[in-house]
Amino acid sequence: MAKKKTSQDWDFKATKSLLQEYLEKGTEKKDIKLPEDTIKIDDLNKKETLNRIYKLVDKVIAKIYASGRPTIELPSRSSSNIIWDEENDLLLLGKQIMEKQFHSLTSVADMTRLMRVLEIVDELLVKDIHATKREIFYTDVKLFRDQKNSDKSIEDVATMLYTTRNATHVVAAPKGSCVGRLRIRDRNDIIDLEGLGSGGWTISPMLDNIEILESDAEFILVIEKDAAMMRLAEARFWRKHPCILLTAQGVGNVAVRMFLKRLTKELNLPVFSLVDSDPYGHYIHSIYLRGSKRLSYESPFLATPNIKLLGVLTRDLDAYNIPNEVRIPMTKVDIKRTKDMLNEDFVKQNKEWREDLSLALKLKIKAEIQAFSTHGFEFLTDRYIPEKLSTGDWI
Amino acid sequence: MKIFHKKDGGIVQLIGKEKMQDWPVELPLVFIEYIRDKQLGTYGDNKVEKEISAYLDEILKDVAIPRLISVLEGDDQDEIIFALKRIEDLSKKNVEMARPIAPYLEKLIKNSNKDIVKLAESISNNFQKADRRKELAKKRNIMREKESQFLAGKISGEEYAKARREYLTLKE
Repeated sequence: MAKKKTSQDWDFKATKSLLQEYLEKGTEKKDIKLPEDTIKIDDLNKKETLNRIYKLVDKVIAKIYASGRPTIELPSRSSSNIIWDEENDLLLLGKQIMEKQFHSLTSVADMTRLMRVLEIVDELLVKDIHATKREIFYTDVKLFRDQKNSDKSIEDVATMLYTTRNATHVVAAPKGSCVGRLRIRDRNDIIDLEGLGSGGWTISPMLDNIEILESDAEFILVIEKDAAMMRLAEARFWRKHPCILLTAQGVGNVAVRMFLKRLTKELNLPVFSLVDSDPYGHYIHSIYLRGSKRLSYESPFLATPNIKLLGVLTRDLDAYNIPNEVRIPMTKVDIKRTKDMLNEDFVKQNKEWREDLSLALKLKIKAEIQAFSTHGFEFLTDRYIPEKLSTGDWI
Repeated sequence: MKIFHKKDGGIVQLIGKEKMQDWPVELPLVFIEYIRDKQLGTYGDNKVEKEISAYLDEILKDVAIPRLISVLEGDDQDEIIFALKRIEDLSKKNVEMARPIAPYLEKLIKNSNKDIVKLAESISNNFQKADRRKELAKKRNIMREKESQFLAGKISGEEYAKARREYLTLKE
């Protein structure tokens, strides 16, 4: 009988080859050339954002003097204006422009909220502080009435300034965490992400204060679930295999995706995702890969087009003898989601991905990452992940 | 990022020195000390460790010291005190790293701010102590040579006694 391999025995050959390839070619394009029919969004600094606000306000004032009825033009964020850029593998915003007018009761409320958010953004930038979307809502509850309205205005403000939401100093609440072979700077402090215990570093939404200083990692692993992250953290996976681990506890919020983008852009390392073997897991991977439709205008700053889907793939369930007892039958919603995923252009273009989703649809089964515990708690860290990273079994 | 290649195919990446130009004045020094103290010994590759050590020296020469000097030549007394505290720490740990600011100390010792004067004097003392240690080591080598020459009968007792006296005076 063959000797049982421990995690130290895997050579990570496929991952190392990918790293060498990246280092030689520089896979991450420094400047993405966007198609002509899409709008260009800039990640501005504080001063540049303030300048854009002042220019915009000057225009509005000029319109008030000229007609008494101000209007604001901004790119439409409707689904008909979202374009999949095949070359860069990104979801982007087209050039359709909508106009917000100050002429009816509904539009007056909309315009007032927009200008109020613009005023708040100006205050945040001048004071060089950040606020969450929830805090913005509470600055004027009577005006916004519902957080949905303030959230919409926040996104409108970013698009009408042709910049990212982070550039407006409106940030998401901290959600994800990161641990591993990485040293960063948060203003004047140097943070060692190996020395923060198994909980790791909570990814700061104030990414303009963060700078990557040093790393001897050879790959990045994005993990869907906290439980799987805990397993890897407890095994001190990054000590045996030089890597950076990151989790967003589900779908990555703006801060997590932007931080991952920053890591891959600056460190140029191979990136892999480990998600549940179900349509939602694949959807999470797709959000990292090419961005969400809602924030398509920010995709060049949020998407990581070279991320590989390491697992859990439907084909892995048989390959790793996952017993039927831990395989879960798909619900109607799962089946619909899988079909929806199969209809996405970016899935249609990816043969292996299409095949794996089709297999899931045929078998009508799904499984969680934790299903590997059926072979022992260390199976994930000592066999599944190292073997796949050694053989290159990813999509 | 600046990439250093390890023999085993691994890599170490460090931030480019051009990005440090906008950092707070003391941070390049903090970064250099941090990488030297905490990280350098963990890479497990002598070649990479030497290359990174040379890169850290380069950061010191091209970024950290010039930035400190620009502060010392300025008018902001709080900034000067802050920078001098960092230099004083550095002069205790590695005096040669702080040496490029030596020409500025004379002026700072005459400053009207007592804290600046105190720090400048302390750094100056550290330089003097280091110079003395260097001189002593040099004399010690000469003394050893004179001893062997005296025992071999190549120099007179008088000549040996003179060298010995010079060495002991310096030692005291």
